Amino acid sequence: MAKRVAAIVKLQVPAGKATPAPPVGPALGQHGVNIMQFVKEYNERTAKQAGLIIPVEITVYEDRSFTFVTKTPPAAVLLKKAAGLETASGEPNKKKVGKVTSAQVKEIAELKMQDLNAASVEAAMRMIEGTARSMGIEVVG
Amino acid sequence: MGKWLEVAVACTREKVEATANVLNEMGSGGVVIDDPALIVDYINKGSVETVAPSLGQSAGGGVVVKGYFPAGQGTGGQLEQLAACLGQLGVTWSSSEVLEEDWATAWRKYYKPIKVGKRFVIKPSWEDYIHSGDEIIIELDPGMAFGCGTHETTAMCLALLEQEVRGGELVYDVGTGSGILAVAAALLGAKKVVAVDIDEVAVRTAAENIRLNNVSDKVTVRQGNLLEGSANVRVDIIVANIIADVIKALAPDTPAALKDGGRLIASGIIRERADEVELALRNEGLACERRMEKGEWVAMVCRKV
Repeated sequence: MAKRVAAIVKLQVPAGKATPAPPVGPALGQHGVNIMQFVKEYNERTAKQAGLIIPVEITVYEDRSFTFVTKTPPAAVLLKKAAGLETASGEPNKKKVGKVTSAQVKEIAELKMQDLNAASVEAAMRMIEGTARSMGIEVVG
Repeated sequence: MGKWLEVAVACTREKVEATANVLNEMGSGGVVIDDPALIVDYINKGSVETVAPSLGQSAGGGVVVKGYFPAGQGTGGQLEQLAACLGQLGVTWSSSEVLEEDWATAWRKYYKPIKVGKRFVIKPSWEDYIHSGDEIIIELDPGMAFGCGTHETTAMCLALLEQEVRGGELVYDVGTGSGILAVAAALLGAKKVVAVDIDEVAVRTAAENIRLNNVSDKVTVRQGNLLEGSANVRVDIIVANIIADVIKALAPDTPAALKDGGRLIASGIIRERADEVELALRNEGLACERRMEKGEWVAMVCRKV
């Protein structure tokens, strides 16, 4: 018999550096997941991506066992990398802090296609462009 | 126990990425994304077969992104800056204090005594259990340190210790975590066990579990890195339930810490790296005698040749 899903928890956590502190602790503790067990497995699986923030989706079953899948880095992180930025704009509507080209947006959209809920690459690109605008990054060309 | 400020931001799916970015840039070491529609995506993709009734009820409402900041000193200015950035995004947010106690022990209520290996029963210290036959009961409060006995890597180590410990051995437990393997070795009849962990929380938890099981006369625990400072006493068995990279790092120092014919029980090795670890151990003169596999994990017993 298939195990029934009790919760799906979505987090963004630094690769290889998860700890029992928030966000991991409160997010998983409330669903009865042994926090250290997750931390150990997450760090093992993401050790090679250290330095990046990696999204992870944890499926918690009714018996408190769990599985998880890691995703591609967040669009915001990829956009900052493409624009050569450390941080996004604090006033995205007034102050533009960087630029990315449409070709870069397309590249990010294609990379993230598997994780985005988008019908086509064009739709995915529009989502990435929206995120870029919210960060004060202009899309040019 | 720590106190944290939880900042919960309500936003549309389109603004999740930018919101998470603001929280991460402001120093939240990661975020939680509460997205009620996520379960619907899973069901539509066919990756979830059946859902508990409790989950169905919560599927509705918008997305909430949560970030966490240590509460207390110096958060005032940081919070103002955060508020300004979130205001620019046009999202609404609220903040509340959360205590470490609230989650650190929340999962306890789901743990019951379980049988592991042939004879072991792992009994959470807050549970009752009636001993029967030749069972060996390990009292355990895993706390926040790894090793509560239910994980495959720990279960395999317990089964292998049952085979390897006959009585009278000297044992090192490297990366002891909750201390479960050191306690198990002592209960199986090892003469002396030295447990080591680099993490202070683990050392404290292990000390507590050693005391709970009345094996303080046989087991000592100390904070330290792998086999450093251990080479002057050679032991019969080293058990290391860690991860592939650390086992490889441990390999060169292992033969000097083992008696001739001594064994290394290595575990915590993810399946795709088992061959690589076995080779690294063999290059140091540790021959793999048997392998055990459970789920994605591999444990091996290697003999010093």
